[in-house]
Amino acid sequence: MKKEIAITAFKCKKCGRIHYPYHDRCLGCKHREFDKIKPEGNAKLLTYTVIFNLPWGFDQRFLVIGVAEFENHVKAMGQIKADSVDQLKVGMTVIPSWEPVRVQYGEDVYGLKFEPVE
Amino acid sequence: MRDVAVIGAGMIPFGRRDEDTLMDMLSFASLKAMDDAGLGDKSVDAVYVGNMGAGMLQRQSAIASSLADRLNLLPAAADTVENGPASGGSAVKNGLLAVASGYYDYVLVVGGEKMREVTGWRATDFVATMTHPQAEYPYGITLPGMAGMFTRLYMEKYGVTREHLLAVSLKNQEMGALNPFAHVEMALDRDGIFDSPHAIVNNPVSADPLHLYDLCPVSDGAAAIVICPLDMAKKLSKPPVLIAGFGQATDTHTLQERDDPTDLKAVTLATQQAFERAKLKPSDISVAELHDAFTILEIAESEHVGFFKKGEGGKAAAAGKTRFGGQIPINVSGGLKARGHPVGATGVAQIVDITFQLRHELPKNRQVKNAQTGLTVNFGGFGNNVLAFVLKRVEQ
Ligand SMILES: [Zn+2]
Repeated sequence: MKKEIAITAFKCKKCGRIHYPYHDRCLGCKHREFDKIKPEGNAKLLTYTVIFNLPWGFDQRFLVIGVAEFENHVKAMGQIKADSVDQLKVGMTVIPSWEPVRVQYGEDVYGLKFEPVE
Repeated sequence: MRDVAVIGAGMIPFGRRDEDTLMDMLSFASLKAMDDAGLGDKSVDAVYVGNMGAGMLQRQSAIASSLADRLNLLPAAADTVENGPASGGSAVKNGLLAVASGYYDYVLVVGGEKMREVTGWRATDFVATMTHPQAEYPYGITLPGMAGMFTRLYMEKYGVTREHLLAVSLKNQEMGALNPFAHVEMALDRDGIFDSPHAIVNNPVSADPLHLYDLCPVSDGAAAIVICPLDMAKKLSKPPVLIAGFGQATDTHTLQERDDPTDLKAVTLATQQAFERAKLKPSDISVAELHDAFTILEIAESEHVGFFKKGEGGKAAAAGKTRFGGQIPINVSGGLKARGHPVGATGVAQIVDITFQLRHELPKNRQVKNAQTGLTVNFGGFGNNVLAFVLKRVEQ
């Protein structure tokens, strides 16, 4: 079963600016009250990379990572389901999902994954 | 506020220093700077130590107290300053403000890091701890990865090419080979890392579109300076170097929350503050040390500090304008790319290198002719905390 994307973004109640991650004061107007919003729909890939020198805690050979913008303008980082960057381009649509992104202390840690659409 | 000058500068060769502990390295660099300042047995009023990772890498905390003890600077005030890869610059800033305010007269500032104590796997994770703990770190993003994503945007927006990045890499490694303190001691061969069919083996993708030789090495090292009020510096044997201007600015933690992620606002703001205070402008600068942890950063910073228009930095590097002997020599020391990047040491090492330049004491093949002013930029996080210093030679 597909898991819900467990990210909460924060929309400023005064100026409407969308934040992810959380800030105590709006980056636009310094207001302190926000509506909690969920990322909606598919996302558009803003930038990406593939890294071959992985940090401690990852034992695969490489990781494809990018930042994407959801249809309701929430922007977030995630791992991209791709074998190489050759199949990616800035502006393409990616389908988000909430899946294990790493293992810590023997437990799966969940996070955003993006699947490129042809 | 009093004018503050650098009266002593010293560093130890960067690289892999298995034989030395972190405290050894901090002590060696400090003694070199103190001897250079001609302090003899005299002490200092305060010491600031720039370091990012002793707690994580060496399992040692409160290293400034430990250093005061080792060097018998007792009972000098001592503080450790942690600000990621800008820890060195932040330590210098703290020393500068303490002397400028009139609170202390003689201050030692030292930056150091021992990163090769752990495996590359652990060191990469250590550096990645400065990313956002929920929105970035869990995904396995690394600082080279952040730089890769930034490079892709910069290439798309400004037409920077791999050839431009290569020019920075070749230049800095060529200069590093001349610097006895540099980690990387060999010049690179363009054919071997770019043109030939073997280039993909010698210079593989590290964080696309960045390749191995676009990245600085992981280094051990330390660098130190002694500062005092300019009035007191005039009685000394070596020409004092005035810290004419300083600036610092922060930006959002994550790149995606910036209105334009290619705009390194903190670099622009920190540098503008430093120039304003020094009453100088970018075209007045004789020599600069920029924070080229990745080749793209030297290009982007050369634009953001005002040496070149946005989008012109890559072409300027490829045209040789930033080489030794060019329009504005950048990273004559070899930069982070070749001198190495022991994170806490870098911001201090940049000022040590500019001090050597402004005292006109380097060998001919590295001494910028008649250098009068220098700029340093120390870049923390991915541009979320940046310090800039403008230094000026003072004729005795
Ligand atoms: Zn707001």
